[in-house]
This record gives sequence, C-alpha cells and structure tokens, in this order.
Amino acid sequence: MIEARNVSVAIGGKGIVANVDFDMRPGEIAAIVGPNGSGKTTFLRALSGDLAYSGEVTINGRDLSVMKPVEAAMLRAVLPQATTLSFPFTVREIVRLGLLGGRSGALPGEDERLPERALARVDLDGFAGRFYQELSGGEQQRVQLARVLCQVWAPVLDGKPRYLFLDEPVSSLDIKHQLIIMNIARDFARTGGGVVAILHDLNLTAMYADRIFVMHRGRLAATGSPQDVLSDDLIEKVFDCRLRVGMLPAGDMPFVLPQSVY
Amino acid sequence: MVDQSIAGAGTMATASDGDRSGRARIAILALCLGLAVAVLLSLTSGASDASAVGVVGDWLLGAAPGNEAMSARDRLIVYDIRLPRVTLGVLIGAALAVSGAVMQGLFRNPLADPGLIGVSAGASLGAVSVIVLGATVLAPVTSMLGTLALPLAAFCGGLATTLLLYQVASRHGQTSVATMLLAGIALAALAMALTGILIFMADDRQLRDLTFWQLGSLAGATWQKIGSVGPVIVLALAAMPFLARGLNALALGEATAGHLGIPVQRLKYTAIVGVSAAVGASVAVSGGIGFVGIVVPHLLRLAIGPDNRYLLPAAALLGACLLLLADAVARTIVAPAELPIGIVTAIAGAPFFLWILLRKRGVVDL
Repeated sequence: MIEARNVSVAIGGKGIVANVDFDMRPGEIAAIVGPNGSGKTTFLRALSGDLAYSGEVTINGRDLSVMKPVEAAMLRAVLPQATTLSFPFTVREIVRLGLLGGRSGALPGEDERLPERALARVDLDGFAGRFYQELSGGEQQRVQLARVLCQVWAPVLDGKPRYLFLDEPVSSLDIKHQLIIMNIARDFARTGGGVVAILHDLNLTAMYADRIFVMHRGRLAATGSPQDVLSDDLIEKVFDCRLRVGMLPAGDMPFVLPQSVY
Repeated sequence: MVDQSIAGAGTMATASDGDRSGRARIAILALCLGLAVAVLLSLTSGASDASAVGVVGDWLLGAAPGNEAMSARDRLIVYDIRLPRVTLGVLIGAALAVSGAVMQGLFRNPLADPGLIGVSAGASLGAVSVIVLGATVLAPVTSMLGTLALPLAAFCGGLATTLLLYQVASRHGQTSVATMLLAGIALAALAMALTGILIFMADDRQLRDLTFWQLGSLAGATWQKIGSVGPVIVLALAAMPFLARGLNALALGEATAGHLGIPVQRLKYTAIVGVSAAVGASVAVSGGIGFVGIVVPHLLRLAIGPDNRYLLPAAALLGACLLLLADAVARTIVAPAELPIGIVTAIAGAPFFLWILLRKRGVVDL
C-alpha cells in the first residue's frame, strides 16, 4: 500500500507539484499520465525519496521521510528515464548492482544467477558480456530494468508487498519490447507487488493500468480506472488536443494498437 | 536479434560472461608479486653498493654468530636510508593512486585527479603556511601539534579545496566535467597565489626547503616522517575499501545509488575526507607528485574494468610499484645527483594524460 496525502514539491522556490493525493494497492499497476512538464517525474522522485516534499507519504504504512536509504531499497526499486555511465562497465556488472542490498528475495544461493535470468526476462539473453556504453538507448533501458528487477526479484518479501517505480519504461522501445516490459510489470503486480509507471502511450495505459492518475500543471486532474478517466473532455482539457476516444480512423487508414496483439 | 549473434560469435556465452572478477583477482596477485620485486630492487639499488641480498642474508642468518653478511655501514644505508625511502614510496604511491580512483568515482569522471583539480594545490598551501609561518604567526599551533602540524595543515588545505570544488561542480547530483576542471583550475590558481605570497615572505633557508619540496621528492625520508604521516595514509587507505560498493553504485548517478540503498551523503563525505587526508599527508611529506592518480586507475580500468572492489586495491599496488620505479629513475638518471620525482612522474604522466584525452575525444563532454 502506498499512500500520499497532499504532496507538494518545490524546486528552487518554484512549485512543481501541488497538493497531489495518491493511493495504490499491491496487485495494481498505477499509471501516471499527463503532458510534458506536468510534474509526473517530479512527483515520482518525491515518492522515491529523492526530493524534499511537504505532505505525507507512507509505503506499507511506514513514513517515507524517516526511512533510511537501505530500508527504502528493500521496499521499492526505481527505474529512471535514462542512465549514462562514464566508466566501461559490462552489462552483467550493471545488472549485478541491483543485488547490492542483498534482499532480492530469491531463494538462498540463487542471487548469483539472477542477472542472467533478469536479462533473459527483458529479452537481452547473451548480452551479459557486452559493454553498456556500446548498447542502443532501448537496450540500455532494458539493462537498467533488469537491474531493477534483481533488486526486488520477489514481489513480496517477508509477507510485505514491494514496488516498482518506472519512469517512462517503454519510451525508447520498439513495440515488441514495449509489450514485453509491460507484461513484466503486470506479472509483478499479479504476483503481489505494485507498479507505479509514468507512461505516455494512452493505448498502452488503457491496456495495462488498473488505475490512472492524470497530472496537469502540477496538480491531479483526474483519477480512476481507464474507463472512467479516458474521455474526450479530459483529453482536450489536459492535453489541449481534440481527440475522440474509441473512434476508428476513416476509410482504409491502417492503425496498429498494442491491444491488437494476437 | 542480429546484435545477439554478433555478440555470441567468437566467444560462446557462458555463465561468467562480462564477469571480470577472476581476471581482477589474478591481476591483484600479479601486482603483489610486482610490488615485492620493486621493493627488493629499490633496496638493492642506489648510489652506494650496499646490497639487499646482504640484507636478506642478514635477516635469515642474523642470529648466527660470526655472520658477516652485512657491514655496519651497509646496515645503516639499508635500514635508515633506503628502507624508509621505499616505505614512503609505497605509502605515497598507494595513497595517490587510490585517491585518484576514489575521486574519479565520486565525480563520476575518469579525468578527476587530486593534482589536476587543485586538491594538491590546496594541500600545498596548508603545508607551506606551516613551513613559512610555523615559527612566527602559527607558532602556538605548531608547537602544540609538533610533527603533526605539517600533515594536518596539508590535510585541511586539501579538504577545504575538495569541499569547495564539490559544491561548485555538482548540482542535483550531476557533476559537470567542464565546471569541475575549470573550478579546479581557479581554485589551484588561488591556492598557488596565496602560496606565492607566503614564498615571498620566506627567508633564504625556507626558500631552499620550499623549492625542493614543491617539485616533489622522496629524498630525506626518515622513520620520523613516516611516523607522522604513515598512520594517516594507512588509516585513509584502510577506509577506502568500504567505499567500493557505494562508488560502484554511484556510477549510475547519485539518485540511483540512493535507490539501491547507499547512504549517498555519508559516502560522499567519507570519500572527500579520506582523499583529503591521503593527499594531504602525501603532499606534506613529499610535495606535489602529479599524474599517479590519473594514470594508474585508467590503466587498471582498461585491464580489469571499473569495479571499485578490485580497482582500489589494484590501484594501491600499481601506484606503489610505479612510484618506486619513478623514484629509481629519479635517483639514477643524473647520479650522483637526484632528480625530483615529481619531474619524472610529470614527464611520463602528462603525455599519457594527453593520450587519454585524444582517445576520449567526443566521449568526454568538455
């Protein structure tokens, strides 16, 4: 259970996020959507403990602001938008950093093999020996996800749910890997964990999210299930764009939706 | 999946793919042997013909009565001149190389070096203050601290510079290379200007001391000097391995290191204090010896990768080896006179640094 009450964040005296309430239960994927600059990443960084905030955030009932880094690391793993390195680490060395805290939750003695298994899950089998800096942006993003998965390999640890915070996890990925990554998120939630993801693709959001939080100019504009939230009015108000939900393109114009996977 | 087949070509994918820890362990073992050889060579070579073979014989047979393996003169040369010098060389080489590696991890940049970015200059300022003002303005302090005054002042100078530099060059957990190098240049210039004022005030005897000391040298190593700076360096070096995991995580950025459970703030300050102590102590006793801190970690990253758990101990060993080697060159190349070792490391290190820059052109965001 993650609960945020009245969370506001100011950076350099400028308010970026104001009075956001946020709730999610284990078993759910909570998607945060909104236009560029609406405060999504800032809110997620507050939730991750990176930024000072006013208001109250609790994870599994414990106050985030008094948690030590090592305690928070046991409860959630965070995937940033992009990670650049200045040293020539191999993919395996990066993924293994996820095991740093020693609470992957895998069976005893299995940690050593987790990097391999995590890489296989993100479809990077055989990449362990490659240099991270030589990979494409999408591949780097998946390596980071493998690292994050190692950190909270078991979605439930000591009877308590754990969480994945994903900041635009699929933004640099092709459609195949978007589906692979979102399915990993869904599996993580179905097996008892929770996922908070910032997403830009509204179709993908509708397909995977149990609950959507729409942010607009630093505030929460709407929240609820995809059916409740994604309406013509809301999209026009928040994205400043007149789009009709659920309307097919005219004539023989082809369109491909992630939902159409068969 | 074209990429994958290319990756798989040549080497079969195995469970140890991308795991360089085995190679790193072998390298560390080899470096241990190398250091042992370098120490023996340093003990045997020198202006006098006192031989370390004699020393070893003396150790092995010393208890035997009538053993004449070593004359009293040789014993003096080996125990009171060469051995302290070798000990100091090992300590300082290790301190400089490890400090370089830690600083590069901290700034997330392979070009950070205590000598380049002003930490050594700050430490020098502290040390020169004590040399020049020790008998007058700072007399109460120096008399209280005794032989610790010099290393302590150098430590404070180095610490102040590093803290200032970190404040200037880092914003929101990101360090700009350009800002770091330029701020380092500015701080070094400031420290050198202040040092200049002190030199201007110095008398003739102090001037001679200062000039030689500033060029960097292991000459004049005594057990007493080792007694005052050795513990500082050993303590700082002993603390560094505890930073290794944190520095590895820091390679992903400060925020991500925090998400992985690393207490980033504490890590940063421990690293800064440790580096300042090691560099300060080194500068206090041997002056400015440049480029060890950048050359050694860079070579090692090419050989065994950037994992600090192996990089830090390997850097200590290779730094010690290289400094002993440089000292051997300094002692013999213009014998019977002696070249300051700082000149040797700069002549070898500066072109190497340029080579790194050329290789990294386009990668380093200057």
